[in-house]
Amino acid sequence: MKPIASVERLRLKFPGKDTLLFKDLSITFYEGEKVLLLGPSGCGKSTLLQVLSGLIPHSIDVPMKAERVQLPDHWGYVFQDPDSQFCMPFVDEEIAFALENIGVPREQMKERIENLLEAVGLFVDPHTDIHTLSGGMKQRLALASVLALEPDVLFLDEPTAMIDEEGTKEIWQTVKQIARDKTVIIVEHKIDHVLDFVDRIILLNDQGKIIADGQAQTVFSHYKDVIASQGIWYPGVWDEYMAKRQYRRSVVQQEEKMIHLRQFRGYRLRDVKIRVEEATVRAGEWIAITGKNGAGKSTLLHALMKLIRTDGTYELYGEDSKRVKQLHRLLAFVFQNPEFQFVANSVREEIAYSLRLEKRKEAEIAETVERLLRRFHLWEQQNQHPYQLSMGQKRRLSVAASIVSGQRIFLLDEPTFGQDAKNTFALLELLESYREQGATILMVTHDENIVKHFATRRWVIEDGRLVKDEPISQHSPQAAVPSV
Amino acid sequence: MKWNIHYRETWLHHTNPSLKLMVLLLLFIGVLFVHNPNVLINFSLGLLLLFMLYTGYPWKFLLLFFLPFFLVFVSTASSMILFGEGKTTWFRWGLIHVTEESFLRGMHLGFRALSFALLGLLFSLTTRPVCLFYSLMQQLKLKPKYAYSFLAGVRLIPMMIEEFQTVRNALKVRGGVNNGLFEKMKRYAIPLLSQSIRRAQRIAVAMEAKRFSDDNERTFYYEIGFGKNDIMLVVVFIVVTAVAYYAGVHYPYIPVEDVR
Repeated sequence: MKPIASVERLRLKFPGKDTLLFKDLSITFYEGEKVLLLGPSGCGKSTLLQVLSGLIPHSIDVPMKAERVQLPDHWGYVFQDPDSQFCMPFVDEEIAFALENIGVPREQMKERIENLLEAVGLFVDPHTDIHTLSGGMKQRLALASVLALEPDVLFLDEPTAMIDEEGTKEIWQTVKQIARDKTVIIVEHKIDHVLDFVDRIILLNDQGKIIADGQAQTVFSHYKDVIASQGIWYPGVWDEYMAKRQYRRSVVQQEEKMIHLRQFRGYRLRDVKIRVEEATVRAGEWIAITGKNGAGKSTLLHALMKLIRTDGTYELYGEDSKRVKQLHRLLAFVFQNPEFQFVANSVREEIAYSLRLEKRKEAEIAETVERLLRRFHLWEQQNQHPYQLSMGQKRRLSVAASIVSGQRIFLLDEPTFGQDAKNTFALLELLESYREQGATILMVTHDENIVKHFATRRWVIEDGRLVKDEPISQHSPQAAVPSV
Repeated sequence: MKWNIHYRETWLHHTNPSLKLMVLLLLFIGVLFVHNPNVLINFSLGLLLLFMLYTGYPWKFLLLFFLPFFLVFVSTASSMILFGEGKTTWFRWGLIHVTEESFLRGMHLGFRALSFALLGLLFSLTTRPVCLFYSLMQQLKLKPKYAYSFLAGVRLIPMMIEEFQTVRNALKVRGGVNNGLFEKMKRYAIPLLSQSIRRAQRIAVAMEAKRFSDDNERTFYYEIGFGKNDIMLVVVFIVVTAVAYYAGVHYPYIPVEDVR
């Protein structure tokens, strides 16, 4: 086999860091290989892709040294964030941008664009506003515009990290179709749909050293414990977790009515965006709110928090919600992106924020904050800026800061989105411990495993309507749904 | 979130954006040297007519777009009218001193502001940024580096507006901000800016990953040239200017030729 990309004795250090990210790393990729790079977050997998494509040091200025670097002649790179890899407003213009860059004559562009969209299974009018596409569609557009460069090597840098389950499946289906004769180098944390596609796995540790490199199935089965400890979503991760947890769900079905809705409607401008005929939520319930993209799941949470205009009956603890002056003292709300929620300059102050607004006593604030710092495993980070935390820490902080006022109703908008397996389980356990103490959880989720193993009830939202309200049967921990 | 307003495309949309920019810029400067209020009023009326008939937007939106600029007209005119100097006093009350001269000068300034606004609106309502930058690259040899950076920036604006709403909601669920304006601005600015800076950096890398550079020969998806609409554009503006001037001089509304 012919080598197509390689580095020899690579040394690389990020400015401001004390240690080298890579120390004398050597690695070679061969033509036609499908390779998966695994490793804990922060170990430098993405950095390695950027070195192999030449983005480092040509586009991203990071000091590096290597004895020899072989870059592929024709390559394409798909990035993680679907919202920050396009520079044009419309689908056709974005693909045309790539075609323009390599000097494709104008007359050929229309046809090329149509063919590329077909290849990635994106059957939309070419002149569609990118803003209206779903995350999965955006990533397939990114693939199409990368294919426009006619690459031999595809670098895929966690292309599904910010995509839901359905979109993830579509993306990998597309990759399998278009990349049969190409070299593909993948960094990914959710490897369910990737495992049967790759033939080589390279496993790195947190020091940026290669600890395993070989045939995919062999590496996967030999190093399963390491892979599990790195928080990677592999097939069967839920089964193993549930088995280990010695699952015993105490169903604290209490009679206390927390929320009651009748003919409840939420509006955006003048349009009804969500309606609920009748529903009652009791203490100790965990309600999973499910439904397709854009069905109105988040809108329902926004309506309950009264971030949008509502009408109809909405009672909290038996009292008309209109009479509740400070809704945020009864309801805790957690957003999908934790960063937008942060308001303070340190982890400690972030948790204390709401308490200070309520003008609680200093001693009481200190005590509550300390308790939460420990419970949410943020004690060591208490003086850091919230933005400096890792993904999982940010998520835990956003939950801790939201529930600090002692609210007993939690509204959560896909809190496990983009989290690795380890952090997801940690968060779910925290929430479960609050539920066992009588808190109520309303949580938007796409993950069937969460619905099955943690929720007590499921609400299905369809076209802005609560169409189904069913209890989740309590069954044995075995037989997990194929995990994300 | 809906950002698009449906509009009808008129001949003004199909003119060459660079030419349109030049013509409007020229008129912009020209208006500065008009001192005859009659000419300026006629000219503004002409622009208003073009604005209402040929931008292709529904009346509701035209009125909405026009409203802030009408307020600019009123405020510009009134400050000059109420506090200007002059010989023929019409009204005096404390600081307020309205004279014939200040009234005319105020109206003149108001109409000047109005015609600036209308020129700007005429351009922005009939030009897609994408077409403008393609035209600037092709006709005025703007470097692609700048053109595409601007376009990428334009894409960030609706994202920032959405993020602004998220931050506002996030503050609401935390109990709001009870400190002053500075504190409030900080609460919004830091997350929005940090997100934008990171996003801008990522987009830049993604663009270079797609082989974007100033060195290679590039082709253009939209070839923007000249057509009969461009002749029409030039003719229409010559006619509007000429008629405004002729009528202003020969059939004045007010017997004043120079407000200075």
